[in-house]
Amino acid sequence: MTTKAVLEVRDLNVRYNTSAGPIHAVSEVSFDVFGDEVFGIAGESGCGKSTLIRALLRLLSPNGICESAVISFKGHDLRTMPDREFRKDILWREISLVPQSAMNSLNPVYRVGAQIVEAIRAHRRCTRATARERVAELFDVVGLQADLMDSYPHEFSGGMRQRAMIAMALALDPALIIMDEPTTGLDVLVQERILRRIRKIRDAIASSIILITHDIAVIAEMCDRIAVMYGGRFMEQARSLDLFESPHHPYTLGLKNAFPSIHAVGAELISIPGFPPGLIGPQTSCPFEPRCPFRIERCATETPQPVTITEQHEIRCFRSAEAESLRELAKSKATWHCSN
Amino acid sequence: MFDYILRRLGYTLITLFAVATILFVIFRMLPGDPTLQVISPAMDEAVQTRMKEAFGLNDPMWKQYLIYLKNLVTLEWGRSFVSAQRVTDILAYRFWNTLLLMAAGMCLTLVLGIGMGIVMAWRRNGPLDVCGTVVGLVFQATPPFITGLLLLIVLSYRLGIFPTGGMYPAGQRPDGLIDLLLMPGFWQRIVLPTITVGAYYIATPMLIMRDSMLEVLGSDFIELAKAKGLAPSTVMFRHAARNALLGVVTLAGIMVGFAVGGQVVVESLFSWPGMGQLMVESAASHDYPVAQGTFLMLAILVIGLNFLTDVAYSYLDPRIKISATGIG
Repeated sequence: MTTKAVLEVRDLNVRYNTSAGPIHAVSEVSFDVFGDEVFGIAGESGCGKSTLIRALLRLLSPNGICESAVISFKGHDLRTMPDREFRKDILWREISLVPQSAMNSLNPVYRVGAQIVEAIRAHRRCTRATARERVAELFDVVGLQADLMDSYPHEFSGGMRQRAMIAMALALDPALIIMDEPTTGLDVLVQERILRRIRKIRDAIASSIILITHDIAVIAEMCDRIAVMYGGRFMEQARSLDLFESPHHPYTLGLKNAFPSIHAVGAELISIPGFPPGLIGPQTSCPFEPRCPFRIERCATETPQPVTITEQHEIRCFRSAEAESLRELAKSKATWHCSN
Repeated sequence: MFDYILRRLGYTLITLFAVATILFVIFRMLPGDPTLQVISPAMDEAVQTRMKEAFGLNDPMWKQYLIYLKNLVTLEWGRSFVSAQRVTDILAYRFWNTLLLMAAGMCLTLVLGIGMGIVMAWRRNGPLDVCGTVVGLVFQATPPFITGLLLLIVLSYRLGIFPTGGMYPAGQRPDGLIDLLLMPGFWQRIVLPTITVGAYYIATPMLIMRDSMLEVLGSDFIELAKAKGLAPSTVMFRHAARNALLGVVTLAGIMVGFAVGGQVVVESLFSWPGMGQLMVESAASHDYPVAQGTFLMLAILVIGLNFLTDVAYSYLDPRIKISATGIG
């Protein structure tokens, strides 16, 4: 892992203006993505993961407003870059996307290969034939037969479409690939095959990857560093190993309980009671406060600021110092289901 | 794809057969006896019977029907009661006139309507979106004879910019289609009827296009097209409009059917020598062979254009091939 950050984001906020008032979908998010690493963002549906990447790619709907202190990509300030330049020089050429719904992300009326050729030729001067050669190469990388590139999307299975999407994302050797829940909607066997493919590609290419998922198991095996997102904020951010060995934030503790572990077969899964927050109006508390079994008075009136535990391990919790004892308490089901 | 087109062609022929049969029945159920036009009741009884026999009117219905079908296929459509010209000759001339005007009107409606729909969806709630909807609906709510009359009053009588009617200047009968298309007088005369038809029908493709654009613009592949860094115009036309067009193409086939109705009014209003005008004239003068031929020809026109729509659809939507070889 090189130490230079490819992407540097500081204090990113996104709000959607709605008739019910502003929705703070993403608040005070700061992170770095280093060269050649996989950075995972984990969280429940509606926690702001997808909004965050839409903001980075300038794909927010017109009522979505993004404000940030820094978005720096390979030394370019992405906040001030004109749309045209961003579109031509950054999108896909430098930052590509594997979208959440591969099933519907290919245009049904064009051949799969032609859609990848289109992406290549939008950014690189080359003939159609050269671009097609590149597509054949990419299909080989993702394990599709080259002659399938003249098929239409409806002739592909879900897994094949997802592979085609990955091929498209790799097309221009971008510095950063954002994968937004790349395995959602696929059956478990296909998921496993796609993940194996991504893992293989990860080792073969020089791109950094941001992997977004709600599946903590996926994150555990794929990512170098992880951010756990809740209510639009990064609650805990750490190296994968640190996060799984010594999770600090109550929400991370809860998430770990809710997923089956291969090391503790037969252990009961414990869910986190309650629902994710609505995020309408000003945020003056910890977003996890209503569901947190360890909440104290301060949590309801103040938003916790990031606290550094060790190098590259940050959490937003007032009780970060007591992590050791909270971790023990969190193992018991009674902690989660009686105090509420 | 070839399978699909063949199947559609089969359906088209069945529809044509059904229309011909319905026409046969209708014309024999119409009040009034068409034979009265030719065989005068004042004639001698014996002469009347002999004439009826000569026309085959004493044969049983099924035999008459078979002869009718045979005549249709062999293009023996009879002679006009009024001018004694062959119906097929009259129609051959009128058909192209109608097709010209209809093509001009439909082109205006579809090209302008679809174009407007695209831009309206792209700039949703913008000034064009709001104005376009209102203007389109006002035109749709106004019967074409009102729009046509207003255009005639203002642009022809008051301002004298366009001639009031006809298809070419009086006394300059064109020598074939090419000659007609080369006449400046023809182009002057086609403007007003085209605008009248176009204005009446524009709301439908415009609003359908706008709606299906809005639907397509919300789909995942549009977001991906934007993420690919494609120019906004590429996203709008190549990706969004191409998909949204599918709905409008289906509609275009149906619209052509309605357009024939408007055609009758517009042709009468602008004295356009087409089949719509012919239909009105022949019905008024009880010229049954011509009326029957006109109905049939209009039906063939509508059904033929619908067939073309189906072919266009299969070209636009590659998924259609599946249903042709699979379930359908």
